[in-house]
Amino acid sequence: MLMSVKPFFTRLWKALASIHLSLILCLLLAADAVWGYACIHRQTALFIPLNDMGLIPWARTWGQSAPATSAWFFLLLILLALLALNTLACTLERLRQLWAVRTQFSLCRFLGKLGPHIMHLSVLLILLGYLASYTLAKTEHGVLLPGRSLDLPGNAGKLHFTAFAHEAYQGKRMPLFQGEVIRPKALLRLEAADGTVREAALGFNRPVRLGGWSVHLEEFAPKHSGGMGLKPRIDLKMRRDPGVQLYFAGILLFCLGLGLYLPERLVQEKHQETHKKPLQGETGRQK
Amino acid sequence: MSQKMHKTRRNPVLQAFFSLLCCLALTLGASGCKQENGKAENAAPVSGARPAFLQIGEFSVHRVSDTHTEVRDGAGRTLTLIPHNAPLPPGCDPKRVVRTPVKRVAAYGYFDVATLRVLGVLHEVLVGVTVPEKEWAGCATDIAQAMKEGRIAYLGDSTSIDYERVKQVEPDLVLTWDPSSLPLLDDLNIPAVITSTPQATCLNAKMRYVQFLAPFFGKESQADAYFARVDAALADIRARTVAAPKKPKVMWGDIYEKRVLVEPGNAWVGELVGLAQSNYQFKDVFGTSCIEIAVERFLYSGEDADIYFTYRGKKSGATSKAAIARTNPLIRNIAPLRSKEGRVYVPAACYLQSMDKLDEVLTEIAAILHPELYPQHQLRYFEQLPDEDPPKNEPPKTAATAGGVSR
Repeated sequence: MLMSVKPFFTRLWKALASIHLSLILCLLLAADAVWGYACIHRQTALFIPLNDMGLIPWARTWGQSAPATSAWFFLLLILLALLALNTLACTLERLRQLWAVRTQFSLCRFLGKLGPHIMHLSVLLILLGYLASYTLAKTEHGVLLPGRSLDLPGNAGKLHFTAFAHEAYQGKRMPLFQGEVIRPKALLRLEAADGTVREAALGFNRPVRLGGWSVHLEEFAPKHSGGMGLKPRIDLKMRRDPGVQLYFAGILLFCLGLGLYLPERLVQEKHQETHKKPLQGETGRQK
Repeated sequence: MSQKMHKTRRNPVLQAFFSLLCCLALTLGASGCKQENGKAENAAPVSGARPAFLQIGEFSVHRVSDTHTEVRDGAGRTLTLIPHNAPLPPGCDPKRVVRTPVKRVAAYGYFDVATLRVLGVLHEVLVGVTVPEKEWAGCATDIAQAMKEGRIAYLGDSTSIDYERVKQVEPDLVLTWDPSSLPLLDDLNIPAVITSTPQATCLNAKMRYVQFLAPFFGKESQADAYFARVDAALADIRARTVAAPKKPKVMWGDIYEKRVLVEPGNAWVGELVGLAQSNYQFKDVFGTSCIEIAVERFLYSGEDADIYFTYRGKKSGATSKAAIARTNPLIRNIAPLRSKEGRVYVPAACYLQSMDKLDEVLTEIAAILHPELYPQHQLRYFEQLPDEDPPKNEPPKTAATAGGVSR
């Protein structure tokens, strides 16, 4: 029994580590992405809650309610899981082979040869980070008016909205944007749970961090100096996301792998050039 | 090379993987197509039972149990609906709990008031509005009367609400489009629902919005009946216009001091125009309702448009094509204003307050787009503008009084 199982697992492992599987998965992922584009374009609203309610609750409610539009997403998850397995198997297999011949290289060359495998593993780490983010992150929404405060969930700290410090368009080349806020900035006073206070500026793609939460600017009003009379406010999204560390670690690891790989690549190219030169000489002689 | 190919063909595990994925993709795709073609939605009641989850654009209603419903409002906040005296579900924020059926409501928007009317609870629950009494008179006279008698309070203009007054009327729930009111309502311990969404409301969400508010009042069957009525009107529009001889080009928007605001293609009007075999000139514009676009884009779309719907009504000076061109010289050359064949429509005085008759509004828009298919239709919610203002001693003559939609 054990004898018959072992070859099966060997074949399975080889299939998982196969470059052909990688190509098939990449093609399927591309096709699925095209399908996904059409679905998102047709029904954007279905996917908006995925950003704040998490993967499992979304799949049980919004995802299930419109299978025609969400099926591509579930297929994407399956394909990504397979690609991750494929990458892991492929990388471990190559690492095993590399380890077996490690004595043939100097330490520097060996590290250089590890570079691509480190990059592959870092991609897995980034994917894992996203999975953690979509399954474990907690998200809360809040609205702040100038001069008012908002407590972070679990008494992790307090945010006080001091004032706007927007940058508005003052040029004359584009009359449409005259007076329009082009770089929103809200000044906040952050009070940590231990009582320490600091100032911070919040903007789009410029979150602030406090007590393990990241605070993001979602929306603000008014957007124009002569706007529609909307009251000044900022809409906030507060996230406690364990995935962030994982994908930052993945990015750092990727950079390390790239740093190791590039010198190795240069050495390889130099090596190829030195092998080509005599060949060119030979061709010349033949002429 | 041939050896390699031979090797690939013989890999049974890889083949099994590929076959499995293809089967999965085909099954999912097929099930998706089936749902799409059959218009089957999870939202539709299955064998008489109410669905557990209903998506209404960016809103949702999730029936967790018979006594526990979770709704997601336009700002992405989750509110818990539980009956009066029922214990709070574990882990639920008390500030986001609404006891049902709701008995006292303050509403900011016309559409929310109209929805309360659809649900048949308007006179029982509405205690505050942000539109003064004179604005209701002539259209929703019952509300004007209730305000006169003090049963419905005026809470101040929506941009400057009198929160002392709100506190006095003690609403159990506030329906508001304005997120900036949330912190102040939180201070008063009054739960609020944000009824606007970051993206424009699509046609399906516009029709189903009543099903979002229904669980607050336990009026789900009224909401389902209303949706069925509007859906039937839409089916009729689709059937009537399918063989329309011409596809008119339509634009919907307005210009305010050089700033052009239009309804984007993802808004319900954009979808309706497309569904009624017409071309919406801003169908490529995506975003929020009343989205701002460049004047040049508006002028470009207006070059060959046939029909133009404005936001402003006659009260705001849109009394004729010539009057609009005079007020906004920038757009005077768009085809609907410039040519004799071009048609311009403004919302009638009661348009905004008539959204409880959405089926009639949708039909009227279809009748405007294809007057030849609706020869007997009398305009009620829109008015067609004449080329010039009538002389002051002559009564104004519109298409509605002229006995139908003019071409």
